[in-house]
Amino acid sequence: MQGGGEPTQAEFHEAITNRADRWFAACLKITRNRAMAEDAVQEALLSAWAKRSQFQHDARLDTWIHRIAVNAALQLLRKNRPASFEPLDFEIPDDADSQEDVHHAGELERDLGKALTHLSDIERICFVLKHIEQWRLREIAEELEINVGAVKQALFRGVGKLRKRMTTLQGV
Amino acid sequence: MNDDKLTLYFYKDGLTQAERLGITNALAADTELAARYKLLSNSLSRLSDAEPDAVTPDMMQRFHNTIDRAANRERGATSTTSPPVHFWSFFWGAAITAALALGIGIGVWFGADFEPGPDDGIGRDLFVDVTPQNNVVPVVFQRSITNYFRESQRDITDLPMDAEADRLILILRLIDHNRLFEKAAMQNNSPELARVLRAFEPILVKLAANDIAPEEAEVLRAQLAFELNVMLTKLTRDTSDGRQTYSERT
Repeated sequence: MQGGGEPTQAEFHEAITNRADRWFAACLKITRNRAMAEDAVQEALLSAWAKRSQFQHDARLDTWIHRIAVNAALQLLRKNRPASFEPLDFEIPDDADSQEDVHHAGELERDLGKALTHLSDIERICFVLKHIEQWRLREIAEELEINVGAVKQALFRGVGKLRKRMTTLQGV
Repeated sequence: MNDDKLTLYFYKDGLTQAERLGITNALAADTELAARYKLLSNSLSRLSDAEPDAVTPDMMQRFHNTIDRAANRERGATSTTSPPVHFWSFFWGAAITAALALGIGIGVWFGADFEPGPDDGIGRDLFVDVTPQNNVVPVVFQRSITNYFRESQRDITDLPMDAEADRLILILRLIDHNRLFEKAAMQNNSPELARVLRAFEPILVKLAANDIAPEEAEVLRAQLAFELNVMLTKLTRDTSDGRQTYSERT
């Protein structure tokens, strides 16, 4: 980044070239829908460009856009599937033990993205934001408009299911 | 102690200072608990992010285009005054666009609605067959694009690098025309030509950047001028070989 001033068009292009795959992957983990994930990245780029004067130069442009993209993905998911953000009062059983899943287990578990399909929306979102995006629990709660206790419960259930799959399928 | 507390301990989040200290002490004192925590932290560490999902080249291009469009829109919106425009550039741009529109229009009109009879010579020279089976570049299109390349070459050579507004207007106009001709090339059975025109755009976009270094601009201008020259030479050669024209063949 050139010192001072707002990020330039060239710097945006550089960030896209180097990090668009990461932004897209993060959005895809949240939305589980390629079109929605792409829309989220597009919206993030437009938003970042429009607000580039607010960019803090002690941060990294790609990290800043990443955060905006994740927020955009959450907003798109909220708009398209509002029920995703409802905290669950009950446990949705993991289907890890089905014969078909066991058959394809090794292949599935190599890709965390695919393993995440076994979680409910709220469990997946909380796990992704906490474990991969490393948000604070409080930030997640604020973004999802639920309380911290609900975030913790969703996270525990998500982690529990993922660990169970690993233990069952890989002997960890 | 249940795994939920240990999970929060792993994430270093969601516990009070006292709770954290309590767990630290418990882990030091209880080997069974320490083993459980090790298992948990190993499992969580293995849930690391896999390789990111590949972004397709098309998608990547769309991301780049998003920024270019936003930047271009912004430049258009912030141009409150009308910077001077080179008259001849404008004239040629308008003339070429008009010729292109006319050429396509005539071709489409005759192609769609008019089938000349065996003795009817009307429109024969103007008829443009845009079906994929026809490997011939129509003469109207070829003349237009030759002029376009020639004028673009001149514009690129005379690009006012010290007058940013002028430069932007000229480049944006070139990009617009480039897209028009790219579309026209596809419609006129010239996918290779369309590909070359498409390849010009990123170079033009770079050249339009307001923070481009003079040396880089010089390299890009030279590259564009060279590419345009190659295309002109090729088109002129094709014309003299008599490969292209429907009218010359009939």
